[in-house]
Amino acid sequence: MINLNDQQSLFNIIGKKLKRKMSCFVIGGSAMMYYNAKTTTKDVGIVFDNKNDFDDFLKVLKEINFEPKNPEMLYPRKENKPALMERGQERIDIFCKEIICFKLSETMINRVKMIYEYDNIIINVVSPEDIILLKSATERAGDRIDAAELIERFNIKWNIIVEEAMHQTELDKPLFVVFLYEFLLELKDDFKADIPEDVLKELLRMSEREMVKRLKRKKGFVK
Amino acid sequence: MNMLNLAKKLEGIHTIDTMAETLGIKISTAIKLVSKLRKEGYLKNSGGGKQVRFYKITPEKNVEIGNPGLYDIINKYSRIKIVSSHVNRIMNKKLTTEEALIRAVKTNDIRIIIASLELFNHIKNWSLLSKLAEQEGLGRKIGALYDAARTIIKVRRMDRRIRNKLLKSKVKNRFIISQIKSKDMGEIEKIWNVYLPFNKADLMRYKE
Repeated sequence: MINLNDQQSLFNIIGKKLKRKMSCFVIGGSAMMYYNAKTTTKDVGIVFDNKNDFDDFLKVLKEINFEPKNPEMLYPRKENKPALMERGQERIDIFCKEIICFKLSETMINRVKMIYEYDNIIINVVSPEDIILLKSATERAGDRIDAAELIERFNIKWNIIVEEAMHQTELDKPLFVVFLYEFLLELKDDFKADIPEDVLKELLRMSEREMVKRLKRKKGFVK
Repeated sequence: MNMLNLAKKLEGIHTIDTMAETLGIKISTAIKLVSKLRKEGYLKNSGGGKQVRFYKITPEKNVEIGNPGLYDIINKYSRIKIVSSHVNRIMNKKLTTEEALIRAVKTNDIRIIIASLELFNHIKNWSLLSKLAEQEGLGRKIGALYDAARTIIKVRRMDRRIRNKLLKSKVKNRFIISQIKSKDMGEIEKIWNVYLPFNKADLMRYKE
């Protein structure tokens, strides 16, 4: 498990090793630690919006003895899997532009709540709303508990969640809204999370519309 | 009362009066709640003295790490304050006023540039400012902003050698903010061969 101090020392080392300034986004448990919503995380989640930065970051991780691992174990049968890098107990999941069925969008970048500069690496901490959205995309063990914790602790702006889901469909990620609806429905049923009914209704309506579109497209393709 | 739920209910900026009104309680009770919220880390206050005291309440108990970033430095030294949508902190080192000034110009944000003019009063190392400005290709822009600042506020004198160095620096792009020119600061613009993004009236906030 990694705590905030471990994570900071890791970013300090990486920031010093990098030869030029670059910016990335921390997501999931790593971001929650900056919000004081979690004390430890299993992995550091990082997203880059640029392939060059992604490659240079991986190079530096290799220099400090991180080794690549197969992401299939953690993200079975999923698209846009991250590069998994491991060193003893520490693991870093590094995504580039896309996080499974979610695209790093301009709107999400504009919602960043904290920026920390560790020498050459600039860490952008995504908003709690975006952490929930991304938890629904990654759907690993523990993601539901984390999302429920965020809903409990923060005033989640549900309109942002609905708007981003719609935005993702426009960014050619039509299935994201379906995953999000199922994720939130489970949170409401199993964890008694306080999710407004109208948000779920709206997401259901959007999911049905996207599924119908997908079926029509498939039919056309068969013909 | 659960302080987290209270912080969620009151999220935003309040005065004692608005807090009491929102919760339907007496002013004295609101004052007690302010103290409890502060203790639990959900409240920060600003103002006081001659100004109205504002309370910023948020359910997010963010971890305070690192050193002040650009917005903190501007808000510390300038009488024009900036409200930022995000927290900016610098780890491992302290941002100097010279670096902060350069970063402010690089934001291309008119509010930040105007608010940062007062940083000229806190420059300790003019040669560092000139060096950083040259590295970023902002030499003439910094010089023009310095002259603009002198038209409205009392600013420390810039070393003559530094001024000459800035005047000799190359300019790639004459605009500080793309396609925005000043209407009444032509003289400064002529000296420095760059366009200032504000008029004299925009700087009057320093006199309020």
